Amino acid sequence: MFENIASGFASILSVGPILGIILGVVIGITFGAIPGISAIMAIAIMLPMTFYVDPIVGITMLLAVYKAGIYGGSISAILINTPGAAASFLTAQDGHALTKKGKSGKALDISLFSSVSGEMLATLVLILVAAPISTISLQAGPIEKVFLLLFAFTVIASMAGESIPRGLLSCCLGMLCAMVGMDSITGSARFTFGIDELIGGFTFTPMLIGILVMPEVINVIRRRSIPHHELAITRSPNPADNRISLKEYLKVFPTILKSSGIGTFIGALPGLGSSTAAFIAYGEAKRTSKKPEEYTKGSVEGIAAAESANNAVCGSSMIPMLTLSIPGDDVAALLMGAFLIHGLTPGPMIFFEHTETIYAIFAGFLITDLFLLGIARSGFKFFVKMASLRRYYIFPCVTAFAFTGAFTAGQNMNDILVLIAFMAIGYGMRMVGLNPAVFIIGFILTPFLEQNLDQAFAIVGGEYHLFFASPFSWVFIALSIFFVLSSIKMKSKAKKHPPELKEETA
Amino acid sequence: MDRRKIDVVLSTFLIIASLIILTNDNLAEGGAESDLGIMFLPRIVAGLIIIFASTIAIQSLRNLAAGSQIESREIIITDGFFGVFVYLGIFIGYWLAVPYVGFMIATTFVMLAVALLLGGRNWVPIIATSVITPVLIFYGSREFLRVYLPTWTL
Repeated sequence: MFENIASGFASILSVGPILGIILGVVIGITFGAIPGISAIMAIAIMLPMTFYVDPIVGITMLLAVYKAGIYGGSISAILINTPGAAASFLTAQDGHALTKKGKSGKALDISLFSSVSGEMLATLVLILVAAPISTISLQAGPIEKVFLLLFAFTVIASMAGESIPRGLLSCCLGMLCAMVGMDSITGSARFTFGIDELIGGFTFTPMLIGILVMPEVINVIRRRSIPHHELAITRSPNPADNRISLKEYLKVFPTILKSSGIGTFIGALPGLGSSTAAFIAYGEAKRTSKKPEEYTKGSVEGIAAAESANNAVCGSSMIPMLTLSIPGDDVAALLMGAFLIHGLTPGPMIFFEHTETIYAIFAGFLITDLFLLGIARSGFKFFVKMASLRRYYIFPCVTAFAFTGAFTAGQNMNDILVLIAFMAIGYGMRMVGLNPAVFIIGFILTPFLEQNLDQAFAIVGGEYHLFFASPFSWVFIALSIFFVLSSIKMKSKAKKHPPELKEETA
Repeated sequence: MDRRKIDVVLSTFLIIASLIILTNDNLAEGGAESDLGIMFLPRIVAGLIIIFASTIAIQSLRNLAAGSQIESREIIITDGFFGVFVYLGIFIGYWLAVPYVGFMIATTFVMLAVALLLGGRNWVPIIATSVITPVLIFYGSREFLRVYLPTWTL
């Protein structure tokens, strides 16, 4: 394994990948810092631009956008109390309180250092754990994979949706959309209604941009009357207030370590995501803190806990995707799409078929943290200025890039129609409480399910009891039931006693 | 707007669509025979959609019938929807115009229209952005990505 890691570093340390990482970090921080644009939007817009470059350059660039975008969200959270995502809500509380005291430099510094620390720890776990897990998951045959995929659908849909039926319905709708077009096994045309353009199915990139990116643009347009907030770093005459000292960092380091551990663990579980990690880590840090009364009022420790947990999810959410082909959240689903477009099928075989590429991507993941630290630290003013751009400069550009991205996928104007249709569907889904991210996960995983199901049927013939002969099948059935039951319990508990913090986020 | 009413309408639509998938044999054409059967998975999914859509519809109907107080997440805020429809209209116009007037010209006007919709009135920088961005995208795509965006055909 260490040989592979060394060879990964050798591949990544060349001009192309490094330029890709730098570009990805700059774009990620800028997009993340702009209120109304999330990391997922940045990745979806950048995705078509990576089609024509080497997978090592393209994928590491997208991962750099992801990591930097998650960190970038904390800039607007701290400076103008506008968290880009629910996960930055806690950072906004403590960070903006520090900004009001003239200590925005300190808040931005601790947010950056804890983000990078959390990400690095999670990346190390990803590198050390992914390959051994993939060796175990290689033992699984088609029957086991069918149960694994059913487990993934159930868990993600029940944990991620507003309610369990809505999450599962979102997943089913994504599955149904994936079945449109020519079936790869039999060559049958399904749900094409005689329209030749539908034989190839829905093109992934326009659909992705339409369902995940464009609803955010529509949201900004709907709320266009809300006044624009200018971002500005407040400076204190006391230099100690404008930065974080080594002593202060070391003081919160145990919190960072613990929160990163929580974030890494939660990120590795499908369906939970960064918000859950941030809330749990923040709650735990507050519980064990010597100064719990400072939390939500400008606590450096609070920012460290939320940011390190939130960012640790970036690395660990790759674990289920790369080892079991299960994207744990919307960004992982998007990145899984990127892997597939680049000819890399996430799953245990990726470690054997594309060893050099995958370890180069891992090395790029680690190096991205160093670039993030350097670029963000030296360019706070630039990113703040970029993020202060008015929305009537940003969103026309997003519209043009979305159009180009959708067209680039197949160089076909019909793909723009797919983009428009899924833009309306995606926005409609959000309005009625369905989850577009779960829809995408259903769309991506269905071809794998159908292929494995077909192979499983061929193996068992007429003896259907063989489906339940493997202990793996029972384990995944039990796990699915456990997750659904615990999700029902969690949701009914949250309904009866809404936690203070979550209520405020909503 | 009360989301519960939309839930009922949407669920009914999904249930009808699923029933068509379950009962219509003409939804797949051609292809080889397989152990699984081409409509096996779509029909399983259609069955599940009926179950989940019914659950949502029944919950919403019960709440509506009981006259229970509407929760905050069940309210669909429709303020600013005019802009959303205008934006969709702009996008459809963009799709229709590009094959004829080309990417650069159509994008310039679309960017201006979106900026205007978002309240932009600083004309010089807005026009500059609307002209420079499509040019950069057009030549960037051509030179670096080998993607040839549509050009003027009139």
